[in-house]
Amino acid sequence: MTLITKTGAADDRFTRFDTLEDALATDEPVLIPLAFAPAYVEQRPGAEFGISVPGSAAIEDVAPHLETAALVAVEFPSFADGRGFSLARKIVREGFAGTLRASGPLIADQFLDALACGFTEVELPETMANRQPAQQWLSAKETMSDHYQSGYGTEPSILQKRLAARKGASV
Amino acid sequence: MYRYDEFDERFVRERVAQFRGQVERRVDGSLSEDEFKPLRLKNGLYLQLHAYMLRIAVPYGTLNSRQLRQLARIAETYDKGYGHFTTRQNLQFNWPKLKDVPDILDLLADVEMHCIQTSGNCIRNVTSDQFAGVAKDEVEDPRPTAELLRQWSSLHPEFVWLPRKFKIAVTGAEHDRAAIKVHDIGLKLKRNAAGDVGYEVIVGGGLGRTPMIGKVIREFLPKDELLAYLEAVMRVYNSDGRRDNKYKARVKILVHETGEDEFRALVEAEYAKLDGPTINAPADEVERIAAYFAPPAYDALPETSETLAKARADDAELDRFVAQNGFAHKVPGYIALTVALKEIGAVPGDMSAAQMRAFADIAERYSFDEFRVTHSQNLVLPHVKQDDVPAVYAALKAAGLASANAGLITDIIACPGLDYCALATAKSIPIAQSIAHAFADPARQRAIGPLPIKISGCINACGHHHVGAIGILGLEKGGRENYQITVGGDASEHAALGERLGPGIDAEDVPGAIEAIVDTYLAEKEGEESFIETVRRTGAEPFKAGFATFIESRAATASEAAE
Amino acid sequence: MAKDHRAGSKVRGDKLPAILMASHLLEGDTVFLTDGDWTRDPSAAKIAHDAETAEAMEVEGKAAAAANLVIDPYLVPVELTDAGLPVARHFRDAMRQKGPSVHKDMGKQAEFQPLG
Repeated sequence: MTLITKTGAADDRFTRFDTLEDALATDEPVLIPLAFAPAYVEQRPGAEFGISVPGSAAIEDVAPHLETAALVAVEFPSFADGRGFSLARKIVREGFAGTLRASGPLIADQFLDALACGFTEVELPETMANRQPAQQWLSAKETMSDHYQSGYGTEPSILQKRLAARKGASV
Repeated sequence: MYRYDEFDERFVRERVAQFRGQVERRVDGSLSEDEFKPLRLKNGLYLQLHAYMLRIAVPYGTLNSRQLRQLARIAETYDKGYGHFTTRQNLQFNWPKLKDVPDILDLLADVEMHCIQTSGNCIRNVTSDQFAGVAKDEVEDPRPTAELLRQWSSLHPEFVWLPRKFKIAVTGAEHDRAAIKVHDIGLKLKRNAAGDVGYEVIVGGGLGRTPMIGKVIREFLPKDELLAYLEAVMRVYNSDGRRDNKYKARVKILVHETGEDEFRALVEAEYAKLDGPTINAPADEVERIAAYFAPPAYDALPETSETLAKARADDAELDRFVAQNGFAHKVPGYIALTVALKEIGAVPGDMSAAQMRAFADIAERYSFDEFRVTHSQNLVLPHVKQDDVPAVYAALKAAGLASANAGLITDIIACPGLDYCALATAKSIPIAQSIAHAFADPARQRAIGPLPIKISGCINACGHHHVGAIGILGLEKGGRENYQITVGGDASEHAALGERLGPGIDAEDVPGAIEAIVDTYLAEKEGEESFIETVRRTGAEPFKAGFATFIESRAATASEAAE
Repeated sequence: MAKDHRAGSKVRGDKLPAILMASHLLEGDTVFLTDGDWTRDPSAAKIAHDAETAEAMEVEGKAAAAANLVIDPYLVPVELTDAGLPVARHFRDAMRQKGPSVHKDMGKQAEFQPLG
C-alpha cells in the first residue's frame, strides 16, 4: 500500500488488523473494521486507533466513533464508486477533525475531488501506485485552481470570489 | 446570453490542459482504458463504431454566430465537414481523432464552449425551453437558473462519480417544452400564493430501459434555496442509488423502489442538516448571471407587420413556412422561427459547415446574434423582426434550411443508431428517411397536422421514442433488425408514455405501418383534434386494430410471394 | 464497462472462420489484425480458419490492447466471398467494415475496395 497526502508519498503510521485479537496485541496505532471499535476502545482506552468503513456505510453507524477514532478510512471498492465522497462530507459535517483517508484503487485524477470532499490522504494498492506514482497525484492536484461549489475545499468558490471581487471593487 | 468572466475562462482553459494530460497518460499507460474511459466520457468523448465521437455542450441550447462559425471551422479541420445536433440540445462530431481532441477543445474554449460532462455518470448538460425569454406563457426566464446549474454542476467534487448519468431540465413556462417530467430532475419556475418565484421540483423521471414519469417532491422551493436543495437530492442519490446493476442505477429506480414519500423524507432530512447560506449562490451572483439574459434591444413595433402580411399573401411557400415554423413572440412585431434540420431525406439534426456559416450570418443579422438548439434536433431564431421574415426566409432557402415542416410528421427525431453508435441494436436514421419520403407531400403533411415521431436504435432511448406521439424502437431479433411501434407518448405537461401496438416489424414495413396508424387517426379524428388528442381520447385500441390489419395484410403478401 | 462495445454482436452457430477487429487508440478507426500488424483495410484482415489460429489472434489482440495500441479487440465470425474476402456475419460488425449506411462517402466504403 502507498499513502499519498497533499505533499506527496507518506509513511503509514497505522497497521491494519482483521481480527480484534491481533489489534489488541500491539501497542502501535491500529486500523480496524468499524465493528471492532467498541470492544477495542473498552479494552484499550486512550489508545490511538483508526476505523475502516465501507463507502456504503450509513453515517448513523459511523458517527458514534468519530470522537474516539484518530483516523477514518473510507473504503472505495472501485474508483468509479462515488459513495465514499458523500460519506466523507457527512463525516466532516459531524465535526470529525482527525485523518480522513480514502482507501482503494482511486486514480490521480480524483485527488482534487477527494481533498475537496474532506479527505486528507489516499491509500492506494501497490498496483495502482506503480502506474500512477505520487508525482502524478501532485500534478493532478494542480490542474484546476478553482471550483464553483461553495462549501467544498478550503478555498472560497468562484461564486464567492466574484462576490468578494465586486465588494472589493466597490469599496 | 451569458459571457465568461475571468474565472469561467480560466476554468475551461485548465480543463482543456487537464484533458490533454489525461490523453498523454492514457497513451503512456499510466491510465488503463477502463480508467480513461470515464474520464474521456466526462469530456464528451465516446468511442463509436467507426471512430471517436465528440459531444460538445450547448448549455440550455443557446449559441451565437461566432460559436457556430468556430464549429464550422472544427468540422472542416478535424471532422468530415458537418455536425449533428442531438436530442439534448448538444452538437456531436462523428469523426474526430483522439490525438486532435485537446486541440479541438482549445478551439472551443476560444469561443466560450466546452465538452464538460456531456457524457459519463455525472450531471449532464442542463437543458431548457428553446423559447426561453420569448414565450408569452413564461413566469420567469429559465436560462439564468440553467446557467447557475451549469456552473454548479461543472466538476462537482462530490457528484462526478454517480451511480449513473443525471439529467436536469428547467422550464419557466406553463406549456412544457423542456420535457421536465422525464428528467432525473425537472424544475419548473412558478409563483406561490404570495407572488414569490420559486421552483416545483420533480425527481425520478426518465426514459431508457424503464421509462417513468417524475414525481413532485417539492411543490414550492424558494428560488434562493436551489443549490442547497439540489445538493441534498444529489447526496441522497449518490449514497443510496443502486450500484449493483447499471440498468437499475438511475434515480428513477431509487425513487420507485424507495417510494415517493420515503424518498421525499430522505431528501428533506438531508436538507435539514445543510447550512443553506454556505451553499446557495449569493443573491448578487444570481443577479449578475440574470443580467446577461436581459431582453435584447427590441425596436418598438406594431403588433403585426404589414410588410410580412403582404409578402405572405404574395408567396404561398413563405406563408406556409411562417404558419408552420413561426412561434408567437412576447414582444410586438417580433416572431421566433424554427429552422427544421429535416429536409426530406436528410439525416435529422445534421448540418454542414457551409450551412453553419450561412445560418450564423442570418442569426447575426436578424436575431440579435443568437439562436437556440431544440431537443427535436432543430434550431430556432428567437428574435426575428416580422418585417425581416421574407429576407430571412430567402436566406434560409438559399442555404437549404427552409423546410416548412416543424412539428409535422416529417419532423422526426432519430438517434444516430447503428450507423454510428456502438450501443445501438438497429439503424434509426434510415427509418426516419424512409418515413419522410413516404410522407414527403407538403399538403398531406399539413392535412395530418402535428405528429412528432421519435426513433431510437436501442433500449437506451436517446431518440425519446417513449414520448413520441408515434414512437419507434429498433432492436435486434433473431439476427435481424426489428422495430416496435408505440402511440400516445407525450413529453409535454401532459406527459405520457407510449403504448405498444403489437409485435415488432421489419425495417421495410415501418413506413406502411405508419401509414396504417395515420389512416386510423384520420378515421377516428373528431373536429380539429391533433393526433395525440385523438389517441388520448380513444386510447390505443383502434390503433392496435389498424396495426393488426396491416400486419395481416403484410403476412398475406409475404405468403403469396413465397408461393 | 468495456463490454458495452460488444453488445449486439452475438452470432448463432459456427464462430469460424473469423477475423480480429479492434479500434485504434489514437485514431479511433476500426482496424483488423494481419500477420503481426494491423490494417485499416477490411479486405486485408487475416482470416482464422481454425480454433488454434483464432486463439492465437485473440492473444495478439490482447497484447496490443495492453500495449495501448488498440481498444476492444474481438473475434468476428465471417463468411467468405467467392474471392475469399471476409464479410462479417453480424450486421453490426458488417457496418464497421463498411462505414455508415447513410453516408456512403464516409468510412471504409469510401476508401477501400468493397468486400463483396
